[in-house]
Amino acid sequence: MANTSRLYLTCIRNTLEAAMCLQNFPCQEVERHNKPEVELKTSPELLLNPVLICRNEAEKCLIDSSINSLRISLKVKQADELENILTKKFLRFLSMRAEAFQVLRRKPVQGYDISFLVTNYHCEEMQKHKLIDFIVQFMEDIDKEISELKLSVNTRGRLVATEFLKQFI
Amino acid sequence: MACFERASPALKEILLKIYRAERPAEFDHQMHEFGSVQYHVKCSASDPHQTYLSISMPLLSQGLQFTTRLPNHTLDMVKGICPDVVEIIEPPKDGYQLTLRLNFARIPHGKVSTKIITEISSVQAVILSSQLKEMLRNVDSQEISQGMYKAIKLIYHPGEPFYVIKQPAKITAVFPMRFKENTDVIIATAFFQELVVVGSTGACAKAPHCIWSPIPPPELRGEPIEDLSTNGGFVSFDITSRHVEGKKLDKTVWNLLNFYTFVKYHVKSTRGFIHRRMRMRLGNLIEILQNAGIEEEQIKTKVQGFKYVRKLARFSKPKIVKRRCNFSKKLKRIRSRLKIHGFSRFRRQWLTMPKFSSVTKYTKYKTKVK
Repeated sequence: MANTSRLYLTCIRNTLEAAMCLQNFPCQEVERHNKPEVELKTSPELLLNPVLICRNEAEKCLIDSSINSLRISLKVKQADELENILTKKFLRFLSMRAEAFQVLRRKPVQGYDISFLVTNYHCEEMQKHKLIDFIVQFMEDIDKEISELKLSVNTRGRLVATEFLKQFI
Repeated sequence: MACFERASPALKEILLKIYRAERPAEFDHQMHEFGSVQYHVKCSASDPHQTYLSISMPLLSQGLQFTTRLPNHTLDMVKGICPDVVEIIEPPKDGYQLTLRLNFARIPHGKVSTKIITEISSVQAVILSSQLKEMLRNVDSQEISQGMYKAIKLIYHPGEPFYVIKQPAKITAVFPMRFKENTDVIIATAFFQELVVVGSTGACAKAPHCIWSPIPPPELRGEPIEDLSTNGGFVSFDITSRHVEGKKLDKTVWNLLNFYTFVKYHVKSTRGFIHRRMRMRLGNLIEILQNAGIEEEQIKTKVQGFKYVRKLARFSKPKIVKRRCNFSKKLKRIRSRLKIHGFSRFRRQWLTMPKFSSVTKYTKYKTKVK
């Protein structure tokens, strides 16, 4: 974990540990239905206060929790245009393959780059601490991957430019 | 996207097919390349050694001498491809700018033949580069005439024009860069910035000075607005006499003509590279989530169980028998049914299935053996 983002990620981890106490809860509106309350928001008594964790204006995490589901929305930092398109491309690529992740939302919450939806069923199928580990690891990996991609694109550009100019010599 | 090869792959294939044909056959091919270059290849069965190749293409520059007839220096360069084999027919076939008679009988056998045919297939590149060559040759001339600094618009590939501006002791080639997608623009911009940085370093100090600017350079003032509206900015190369000495001229011309193709190829391959990286990272992320499953924990406990069995093997025989006995008792307890008083009588009375005598079945009578 990078030193600069350690506090931010630790804060998210602790909040997730506290928020991820989900239980099976049938829908109060529709009989024999079981829906994530955080998405429907039909009963305010089943919702908890959303928690917004900001590292800076460009990097933040919103945790919406309810009795049977939890929604984690992330905004990833985009320092320049290249980082912006790389982030958009990568997160879109992941969202298109959301079924492989189970907990990934196909469409992010407005104002964020990517969202996860964890229900009580996910908590029953998976180990809670590993699920939290995955989300924190995901955040770390996205940052790392974007930085590496940017570096690689620039390095490739430099090599290609050198080869092109060498042809004139 | 145009290809980097000078020789047209399709034309080369057709010419090789005619050259390698075992029996004299009739060939009459018409084809278009890059949407604007047109070839006509004709060979009659009566005279199989003579093949006629006609070519028509958009002119590199509309403003210069190119009218209907190719200039003499271009024709000289075409003749120079392979003087024994290639002969220019005057006047060219209707609708074409140049017609060549190819005498395949004069092509020596072996690997040389492929090389010669490849050279003939590059006739389009020869014609188009000849004009730029002629302009670059005069880079060092000090003559100053009216309109000398006026930009000359050159079109190598349709929709991708570039400008050549003659200045004292140098010629500036300016490329207005246009891309269809925003992603391409950003990747290309990163490349142009690297090009400028690399050009100013010591390793490429002898290369043409390169400048990238998002706004049109002052040399292009007065050009039509549609030519100056770009999304990728303008890349300029300053060509000096050093870059056109001897064999360098050919390379410089080819690099300038193919700069668009080069950039587009780089953008395309970078996009592929990004996609490959993303696919690889996707696999890693999925693996982390799969490990979070509870099943994984169960597998681990099973493995521990095997270790326990291995430990059992080290115990003495009576101990094992005793344990096995206990285990079988446990199993019996698990398998034993629940006992309900009077249920067996109820089952006998009500739940027994009556026996039916089937029509298809037969009863085997026991016979007494005497």
